[in-house]
Parts: sequence; C-alpha cells; structure tokens
Amino acid sequence: MADNVLSIEGLHKSFGGLKVIDDVGFAVKRGSRTALIGPNGAGKTTVFNLLTGVYPVDEGTMVLDGRDITRVPAKDRVIFGMSRSFQNIRLMPHLSTVENVMLGQHARARRLGDLLYPLGLMPGNRWARAAKEALEDAGLETYPGQVVANLPYGVQKRIEVVRAMISQPKLLLLDEPAAGLNQVEAQQLLALLEKVSASGVTLLVVEHDMHFVHNLCDHVAVLNFGKKIFEGTPAQVNDDPLVREAYLGSDTSMAGQQNAAPAAGAADAP
Amino acid sequence: MDLSQLPQQIVNGLMLGGVYVMVAVAFTLIIGMLNFLNFTVPALFMLAAVLMWAILEGHGIALDLTAIAVLLVLAMMVADRLQQARLPPPVKTVGALGLVAGACVFLWLTLSFRPGPAVFAWLDGAVGAGGRWFLGIVVALATVAVLSLLIERFTYRYMKAKYGDATEHALPLVSSLGFLIVIEHTVISTWGSDALTTESPFGNASFEVGPVLFSVPQLLSLILSLAIVFGLSVMLKTTKLGRALRSIAERPDTAPLMGVEVGRIVPVVYVIAGLLCATAGILFTINYTTVDAYIGDTVATVAIAGMVLGGLGNVWGAIVGAMLIGMVEVMSIYMVGATFKKIPIWGLLLLILIVRPTGLFGHTAIGKGKF
Amino acid sequence: MSGYLESQLIILCLNVIYAYGIFLPAASGQLNLGAAGFITIGAYSSAWINASGAPMYIAIPASMLFCAAIAFTIAFPILRTRGVYMVLATFAFAEVVAGLIINLEFLGAAAGYPVESHADYLVVVPVTILVVLLCFFLMSTRLGLAMRSIHDDEAVATLFGVDVRLAKVAAFTLGAALMSLGGALYGHHYNYIETQTFNVLLSIYILLYVLLGGTQTAWGPLVGAAFFTVVPEALRQIATASGHAWIADSRFIFFGAIIVLMMVFRPEGLVTRTMVDRAATPFGGGRSGAAPAARTA
Repeated sequence: MADNVLSIEGLHKSFGGLKVIDDVGFAVKRGSRTALIGPNGAGKTTVFNLLTGVYPVDEGTMVLDGRDITRVPAKDRVIFGMSRSFQNIRLMPHLSTVENVMLGQHARARRLGDLLYPLGLMPGNRWARAAKEALEDAGLETYPGQVVANLPYGVQKRIEVVRAMISQPKLLLLDEPAAGLNQVEAQQLLALLEKVSASGVTLLVVEHDMHFVHNLCDHVAVLNFGKKIFEGTPAQVNDDPLVREAYLGSDTSMAGQQNAAPAAGAADAP
Repeated sequence: MDLSQLPQQIVNGLMLGGVYVMVAVAFTLIIGMLNFLNFTVPALFMLAAVLMWAILEGHGIALDLTAIAVLLVLAMMVADRLQQARLPPPVKTVGALGLVAGACVFLWLTLSFRPGPAVFAWLDGAVGAGGRWFLGIVVALATVAVLSLLIERFTYRYMKAKYGDATEHALPLVSSLGFLIVIEHTVISTWGSDALTTESPFGNASFEVGPVLFSVPQLLSLILSLAIVFGLSVMLKTTKLGRALRSIAERPDTAPLMGVEVGRIVPVVYVIAGLLCATAGILFTINYTTVDAYIGDTVATVAIAGMVLGGLGNVWGAIVGAMLIGMVEVMSIYMVGATFKKIPIWGLLLLILIVRPTGLFGHTAIGKGKF
Repeated sequence: MSGYLESQLIILCLNVIYAYGIFLPAASGQLNLGAAGFITIGAYSSAWINASGAPMYIAIPASMLFCAAIAFTIAFPILRTRGVYMVLATFAFAEVVAGLIINLEFLGAAAGYPVESHADYLVVVPVTILVVLLCFFLMSTRLGLAMRSIHDDEAVATLFGVDVRLAKVAAFTLGAALMSLGGALYGHHYNYIETQTFNVLLSIYILLYVLLGGTQTAWGPLVGAAFFTVVPEALRQIATASGHAWIADSRFIFFGAIIVLMMVFRPEGLVTRTMVDRAATPFGGGRSGAAPAARTA
C-alpha cells in the first residue's frame, strides 16, 4: 500500500459521551476517486473535520502523502497538500470571486514579500492572473464588483472547487458537492471534477446522491454509526448485506439509481 | 482609617447599588435574549429622569416631546400594517403620503396649541402638589414605553443579518448608539447640558439605626427596585412569557418552530427593559433631585460592570453584580479616594471578561458569538 | 491658511488617524471600543518622553512603539473574547487606562499635563496622508485579503492556511500604534492633554465613523471620518450664517437619526467593495447587476 495519498488508521472521536467516530480506518489510493458514503449521522462530515483539523483527534493516525498530519494544526494542513469544499457553501460574501479564489493561494504565499505584495494595486499581478485563469478553465468568468452571494448555487459550488484546487492539493475533499444542484448544474460540476481528477489530483467525496457517486467514483467506503462497514467498488456496494441493512428502507431507490447509472455514464464518456 | 464609618459606608454602597440594579437588569435582559449591548438603556434612564424633573418644574415642552414620541410610534405601527396589508402598490404609496401628511398636521397642532401650561394650571388647581408627581411618573413611564417600541423596530425588527459575519453583530449596537445620540441631544437642545435641580417632596427625611443614617427616599427606592426586580425574575421563571424568552435566548432560530411568537415577545421585552430604566430614572430624580443630560452614561457604565460581573444574560447575576459594584465604588472612594474608583471596578471587569467570561456565577446560554 | 480652516483640518486629520486605528481590527472582524485608551497612552507617553528631553520626532515613534507593545501584550487575552465580550473588554481596558492616568502624579493626574513641542498642520497633514496610504497599501496586500477573510469566516480562512491569530494580533497592534500616533499628535498640537478629553464618547464616535464608513475597503474610515466631521461642522456654519440657531442645536439629532436609518438601509456602511470595484473600472464594471457569470461549460 505504498501509493496511498491518504491513510487513516484507528480513528476515534467522541463528543461528550457520544462516540461519533469509532475505529475508522481506510486508505485513498493516489489518483483515485473515492467516495465516503453512509446514512445521515454516520460521521462522514466529522471525518472531514478531523482530516482538516477543525476538531482534534481523540485517537488514531492520519497520514497524508507519507507525512503524519494527526497533530499538525489546521492552518498548516493545506500546505501538506489537502484542501476542501464545504457542505453548505462557505465562500466569503464580502470578497469578489477572484479574491475568493486568491484566498486559496494563501498557503503558497508564505514569504513576507508575498504577504505584503500589493495585489489590489497591481491588477495584472501573477496571483490575480492565475486566479482568473483558473476560473476561466472551470468555465466561469467574472466581472468587477461581482457579489458572490448573488451567483447561482451551482456556480458558487464550482467556485469553491476552483478555490480549493488553486492551493494545488494532492487530495481534494468534497463535502456533498452535488447537494442542492439541479441536473444541469450537477453535470457541469461533474465535468469540472473529471477534469480535476484527470490532472492527477485524488478526490475524496462525501455524497448522498448515489447517482453522482456512480458517475464519478471508482472506490467507495461506507460508514454507519461511526464505523466503516464496507469498502470496495461502486458496483459491489449495493450487493453488500451490511450496507443494505444500514440503508434499510432506501435500498429500493438505490437499486433504481444504479439501473440509471450506465446511461448517464455513457453520456459523460469523452 | 476610621473604621467606625464602615457600617454607614456599607449601607451607602447598598443604596447606590440599588440604583444600578434596575439598569443592569435592563441591559442583561436585552443581551440575554438578543445578544447585543443596548446603548439606549442609559438614554431611556436619563430621559425618564429628565422628564420627571421637567414635569415637577412645570416645563410644558415635556408634554410636547411625549406627544411627538407617541406620534412617531403610532405612525410606525400604521406604516407596518400598511406594508403587510394586501393592497396594490399605488394605494400603499398614497397611504404612506397620507400618513406623513397626517403626522405633520398633528405635529403642527401639538406645537401650536402647547397644552403644557393649561395642563399644569388645571393640575395644580384640581389635585394639588401631588398631581405633578403623578403626572411626571405617568409621562416618564409612558414616553419610555412608547420609545421602546420604536427602538425595538430599528434595533431588531428591521435589521436583516445577511451574511452573519463579524461586524454584522454590531448593527443593533450601532443603531442603539444612534438612538443614544438622538435622545441625549434632544434633551440638550431643549434644556441645555447643565445640571437641572428640583426639590424632593421628602426633604431631608431620614432616620438613624444605631450609628447608621438611612435617608427615607433612598431606602424606599432600594426596596422598590429590589421588589420590582425580584418580581420580574420570578415572572421569568414561572410564566409562559419567561419560558418563551428563555427559549429565544437559547435558540433564536428554532424558537419559532416551537410555537414561540418571537415577533410578539421581543417588543414586550424591550418595553419591560425600558420600564425598568424609566423607574430607575424616576427614582434617581426623587433621590438626588439633580439631573443632567449625561447621568445615563455614568450610571450605565457602572451598571454594565455589574452585569458583566454577574454574567451576561443572568438576571440574578446582574442584581448581585450591581450591588457588589455599588459596594466596590463606595468602598474604594471611602478608602482610597474618588479618582481611584475606576481602577478596581474596571480592572476587576477586564479580569473577569478574560479569565471567566461567564461571570461570577457561570451559566449563560448566550454571547458565544459565531461558532 | 486661515485659523479656522486649519483648526478644522487638524480635527479631520486626527479623526482619520483614529478611524484607521479602529478600522484595522474591524476589517478583520474585531470590534474595538477602547480607542480612548490607546489614544490616552499615545498622548501621555509622547508628552512624557518629550518632557524628559527627547525631541518630538523621537517621542512620537517611541510612544507608538510603547503603545504597540502594550496592545501586543493585551491582544492575546483580549482576542480570546468575541462579539459583545470583546466590545466590553476593550471598553474596560480604556476605563482602566483613564483610571490609572488620573492617579499618576508625575503625569499631572486630574489637573492635566502640558506638552512642550508643538506640531502644526505641516506635521499633522503629511503624517495623516502617510497613514492613509499605508492603510490602503496594507488592505491591498495578501495580509489585507487574509484579514477580510477572517472578518467573513474565520474557520474557512484557517483551513486555507491563514494564521488567524497572527493576523488578528497584527491588526490590533498596528491599529493601537496608529491611535497612539493620533493621540501623540493631538497632544503636540494642542500642547495640553487631560484624560477627560479621551472619554468613552470618543471611543464610541470613532467606532461609529468606521462602521458607518464601511469596513470592507480602506475607503470606509476615510469617508466615514470625513463625512461625520465635516457635515456637523457645515451644519453649524449654515446655522450661524442663516441665523437659524435650531439647526446647530439639533444637528446631532439628525446625526443620530442618520445612524439609525443607515443601519437599516445601508448596514454595510457608506463605501462597499462592490462600489469601489465598479468605480475603478467604469466601462467593464457593473455588467447587468447580479447577472450570473457562468458561461455554459
């Protein structure tokens, strides 16, 4: 298992007396598109928050690209090659689109000279150019005075991905990227993520929409009540009895989604 | 140091604390529920005290001001109704213009008739000296209650928190500072900024218990303020209103789902807080017989200290904290001199905010800010 | 320059410097109601150093360093507090400073303290311009971007590698140094200081300049301080010229009413980032308001 971008072992986390994450361990292969799924309250977002350092870990280790990041403070983890998007869009409302993306560059601008470079006074500086290019590559263009909060939800989701990508991560964490998107917006996001993945970045996705998971991911880990109950390919996941039990009552709809998957997948093929 | 004066100083500290208690509770009620420092509290305290003084001294313009305040709030209420009503926009525009025109006519009528002198002449003839006292109390309480409704609209109801970022928390606070400026300068431009004095009906009435001298009005107001605040805290514990208030304080966003009518409860709390300030202001005039446009600022800073000491949003904490601060103030003046009093009070406060922000008694559901 | 204009210009300059001192922390989401405390420290320390023999040009920077050191020390405990607690803590700090100074005999205690060297407008105005330029520069840098991100969402800023505590402490300390500069200039201009001048009302007004001007861009405090210094003074002049004394008497009532109405109708302050962005690019900007920027991918 040498070529894992991320490997988690024996992760534990409790809030008060409640065990939210109980001995979770899995690995994410370099270049893979791994999905982390599970019923509501299974602990998926908590795993993300532990990975990014929002909460400290009770027990266990997290290794990112060969480096133990378990005790690394949250602000430094992005330097080691991990960034994320959020379940509810967390763009900065008072920053323009370009500035939001430029925030993603922060981890790469560590020197004092970079911190004190007058970005705002030099409109054509390389940081702003890079941010604009990244936005254009993602099919987004901006205009001066743009207010992020007024943009459509799907566009905001893609800006979040661009912001996360511009920090040049090895591993991109996506927290429910497709939630709240309509069919067209989901397709646009999917196309962007395909592109991101093709550029060699590993994806780890928390997602409810099984249709989206089937289209995007090649590997699935399933959590239930803070425990990992399954790991394998998307095709195997519906046949696993434990997973069926966890989703009890919703397994029929999952089957339906799986039937629809090949058609959508064909449409996406380049 | 002459320790024989100590019992007297302790009594003085308690008396002083009594004035602060109601103001501190007014602060803590608003902070506890809406998590903002309401700077209209000192303004309303001062306004009540000055109105009480003005009526005792027979200044008719106090009645004009009251009329204007009532008018403003009535206009706001009608405007609100108009906005909610399902009417075509042109009708609404005409209604709004009519409202403005009506308000102007009423204002002109008030300012040209000037009912003041006639009211005072009738009052002095028909009721005697007590009449002005009664009128003063009624006018001060009514004006403050009505203004509280106006303030509620501009510091809560019309506020739209869009992004929930850090400075948005400051909007109600800034708005209340705006009201503070308006009210203080209304008083200053009407009566000037110098000290205004009147005579107490109690004169120098006092009695002695052993070595300790009690002044009658001070003792009365201490008892009254403690009784009111005690009644209030019992009400908050036992009644439906109290329960609703606490649920808003703990979860402002889910309280409506539990059937709490936030839109109805919040104005009630503003009025209660306003009436507390007004009562404190009236008692201040009776006790000290000298008021000016800035008394609110001095009393409020000390009341804020008391509130922090007791823990933000904690009614009993505010009571004990305000009494304690009153004691600290009197004691530090007694022991080390008046100019020194700021250091112990504010030093203590700073320490508490940093070391133990929940106050001496802990337990508060609010003030966590974001996250 | 006429004496009247000069005096008004000095007041404007001092207010602008104070406003930037409060703006820097406010831009990163911290409400500082302790302006009076830092101004007092600046005014007294510069006056004292000046009185001990150092020239004004050394005394003022020294007072700024001294004030920055104090601010840096208290920043760590104070920045642990948030929202209304931070407002109260900074407020308490200012009161403690006032309480201390009034008891220090060697600084004149309650009688006030005379200041030796004089700074006329030829000192105050250039320094103010430098302060404004510095703040514009600072807000245009990545550090400024980080501060604005913290204002909007601390947690997300952290996840993108922003050292939130460092940025907050830097903003608070630098702001304190600026307020100290303003206080020192005040002392050297009027050649007499007393603690009563730097009261809670001053702190409140400065915070109002900043919040009403807008915390999103470096224009905010400049416009806020200028607007709320010039307009009341202009009203006073109009009142004198037209003989309607009531205008002068009631100008602060209008002022207060404007504040209340602004919080409802323009809560983000007079100057917003969107406005500045559009003004900077008159032809490219403002493309059909809130139109979605998405090209169909």
